[in-house]
Amino acid sequence: MTAVAGERRLWVTTRLRVAPQDVIFLVACAVAVLVAWRFGVGEPINRLQRWVRNNQQTHPLFTYGFTPVSRSLRWAVGHLEDFLNWLPWPLIPALSAALLFVRKRRLSAVIVGAIATLPHFLDLTKPAMETLALMIVSVGVSLLVGVPLGIVSASSARVDSLLRPVLDAMQTVPSTVYLIPASLFFGIGPVPAAVATVIFALPPAVRLTTLGIRSVPEQTVEAGRMFGASKRQLMRQVQLPLALPSIATGINQTIMMALGIIVVAALVGAAGLGQEVLGTLRLRSPGRGMLVGVAIVALATVLDRVSASFITDRRRRARSLRSTALWSAALALVAFAIWALGKTMLGDTKLVDWVDDAILWIRDHGRWITRPTNDFIIREILIRARDFLTDTVPAPVLVLVAALLGFAAKGWRLALGIICGLTIVGLVGMWATSIETLVQVITATVVSALIALPTGVYIGRRPRLESVVSPVMDALQTIPSLIYTIPFVMIFSVSVVPGGIIASSLYAIPAGIRLAALGIRQVPESPIEAATSFGASPRQVLWGVRLPLALPTIMLALNQIIMMVLSMVVIAGMTGSGALGYRAVEALTRSNTGLGAEVGIAIVVMAMVLDRLTQSLAQERRPAHA
Amino acid sequence: MIEVRALWKVFGPGDHNRGIATAETGASRADILSSTGQTIGVRDVSFHVGEGESFVVMGLSGSGKSTLIRCMSGLQAISRGDVTIDGTSLVGISEDRLRELRRSKFAMVFQHFGLFPHRKVIDNAAYGLEVQGVSKERRRSKAGEILSLVGLDGWADHYPDQLSGGMQQRVGLARALALDPEILFFDEPFSALDPLIRHDMQNELLRLQSEQRRTIVFITHDFDEALRLGDRIAVMKDGVFEQVGTPEAVVAHPATPYVTAFTRDVSVAKVIRVHTVMASMPADTSSSGRHVLSTDTLESIVPLFLADPSAVAVRDAAGATVGQISGSQVAAALTGRSA
Repeated sequence: MTAVAGERRLWVTTRLRVAPQDVIFLVACAVAVLVAWRFGVGEPINRLQRWVRNNQQTHPLFTYGFTPVSRSLRWAVGHLEDFLNWLPWPLIPALSAALLFVRKRRLSAVIVGAIATLPHFLDLTKPAMETLALMIVSVGVSLLVGVPLGIVSASSARVDSLLRPVLDAMQTVPSTVYLIPASLFFGIGPVPAAVATVIFALPPAVRLTTLGIRSVPEQTVEAGRMFGASKRQLMRQVQLPLALPSIATGINQTIMMALGIIVVAALVGAAGLGQEVLGTLRLRSPGRGMLVGVAIVALATVLDRVSASFITDRRRRARSLRSTALWSAALALVAFAIWALGKTMLGDTKLVDWVDDAILWIRDHGRWITRPTNDFIIREILIRARDFLTDTVPAPVLVLVAALLGFAAKGWRLALGIICGLTIVGLVGMWATSIETLVQVITATVVSALIALPTGVYIGRRPRLESVVSPVMDALQTIPSLIYTIPFVMIFSVSVVPGGIIASSLYAIPAGIRLAALGIRQVPESPIEAATSFGASPRQVLWGVRLPLALPTIMLALNQIIMMVLSMVVIAGMTGSGALGYRAVEALTRSNTGLGAEVGIAIVVMAMVLDRLTQSLAQERRPAHA
Repeated sequence: MIEVRALWKVFGPGDHNRGIATAETGASRADILSSTGQTIGVRDVSFHVGEGESFVVMGLSGSGKSTLIRCMSGLQAISRGDVTIDGTSLVGISEDRLRELRRSKFAMVFQHFGLFPHRKVIDNAAYGLEVQGVSKERRRSKAGEILSLVGLDGWADHYPDQLSGGMQQRVGLARALALDPEILFFDEPFSALDPLIRHDMQNELLRLQSEQRRTIVFITHDFDEALRLGDRIAVMKDGVFEQVGTPEAVVAHPATPYVTAFTRDVSVAKVIRVHTVMASMPADTSSSGRHVLSTDTLESIVPLFLADPSAVAVRDAAGATVGQISGSQVAAALTGRSA
């Protein structure tokens, strides 16, 4: 079918038997290393930043390019904020409940409606509305760009093959990195935050649209074609309607991803709940942090449930009037209960004080254990490992080892990529800092894996237990990690341990558990039954059948743990982990874009290398073709 | 009506002429694959389907039968050779022209039904008309008629996944019939159904054909189905036709050992018809008044001879006496085959 590809080749590619994209890759690697070596990264970017500052008012790139974008985004966010704040507060809970009600999720409607009132009782309506406004605008733009892109990519193999590696890379890069170029061109405030959110949240919108259209059964599409539908008719009448659930999933994920970066967005000046989180860090008040956390989880739950309700609903049956009345009464009741609770417990400062006091008590009385733990982790593990990797082992040897691993995992292309990437990290002067971060990341990964993987394997066969643990894991995944870092900062004092190790692990563990459990659960029944019928004991079934068959997914869990720990680097940097995280915070808060770019490169390289290396472990090993 | 001439279909990368050239030297499938990376789906197949004829292609999986019908309906490009439908060649046909042809000339029923799960039964049936821009009112009334024709009265407002497999395929059939096409393509339409329902659907198709004859190309892996539904059948293997002929001819004189293997388990009585066995000279049997039709199967006339094995008249569809047949002739035909 692809007869053309074989004939149009450069002479280099035919001679050396390499594909054209390999040549592009080679050249790109070489150019990147040369540029980093000859010009550096930080200095030219700082020069660019100065040029941007001086020319912002006059240069056509700004007057016709960035400035209008910036203005319209600011206009949209600003007016939406005003509008949302102008609305009487019960309207949003009522609307969410009504929406869910119409979608036949009655229980959800009651719970979500009640949850949506929480920000009001916590006195956080204004920041919550600011965050909501930013979310609506950035998610809206993501979808406006992402869905059409997904449609194009689904109908053109060429666009898809171009887009795929870009999206892969976009999902590997920790979100903070997007703030760096965004703040370079859009300054400070809600606009760079919106731009970074748009970019960050784009991949799921594109991916799931493409996936949805592609997974419409070939048969169904052919039936359409067979009856003489044109391409446009096919898309409109068959492919898009059938892709809708997948697109709705994409919207849901886009929203959740956008919510995930509100704290980091606050670093460049976006208003809203993210700012409140930063505020509680400054106040050192875990109790206050808890309140903000509750508000954020409330917002996330409402957005998640409402958007998820559109995913699997094709038909509705007629509603009976009586049950509508019943459910409305239930809703009113729950709302009242929450209101009463909110007034007596949360709205008051009492609870905040209790939590703060409890944490202080733990700090004061737990010193005999926390102090030595802290010191042990830092002195015996982190510093030793760092010194070994920076002083004892020469950098070139390390690069070579990494490259060999890459070669073994995926062949020469990855090996070459690793060499180039690590060389560039060295050239921009981030080598030692990166090693320090790497050591932290690996330590946190080991801790998380030791907890998450066995737990996941255990839980995977116990669905009831999983349903109990699930909400806790949901909460850990939605509460901004900075919030649960705060108590640990107070208990352990400012160092790498609370953020870099404990909070990072807490953040990564739920995903690890989920994937490991999924792997175990996905093992087909027939080999297990076969093993059992041959007299294997439960232990033999676990080690001989379940684990080997679940291994690819468990390895994927490991990969996810590493990526999530890595995405915590900047948060950890805010609570004293030093290394790349600290430099990133420094770059963002002082708008030192040059430094930001250098740190960004180091983080991206580390993310890519670790991701590709561990991903290859997750791929199923099949016997090679004869 | 439909003319297939020296049709080749090659799968795989590169120039398909290479694969064809290799195949023409007599190379095996494995050799062609290793030397060119290509597989041959359909190998130099030619045949003709006349107007109102029901042509069944029977083959096992991998025989190329599905590829053949996909080439004939323009779902797949043709590597070499030609398919013409009412004089229009599918080779090098433009997208627009092909679409036009699909809207006006033919329709298809799919193996796994290919229904649109997000549309109601009536809108599934009306799809072909909708694509042509027929107004909602008109297409719905037309689709409604067709639905009752295939026995789906009262199901119009259901969604496909609320229907049983057999009913879903009735929707598939209705969708095709709603266009009132001259040609119907069936790609293993009943193979996903249980045997009993499959039998029902075959009867349904035979009934529809008796009401209004259309040109049919029918793909199946079920030899009995082929015998029941085909005016002529083709047995396909490895991309070529092993044998083409009327069901009787194939069963009576299988051309290759491969075809023989299929015919072995066939109940001859259901296939052989009176005109193959009858004696051609008309005798003095007209007085008894007993007669059979020349197109009856032997199975259907056996009861006639239980009481009286003497010869009866054979008449054609017009009622003219064309021969005679006796119980001993029937017995000989049946036992002669099975001995």
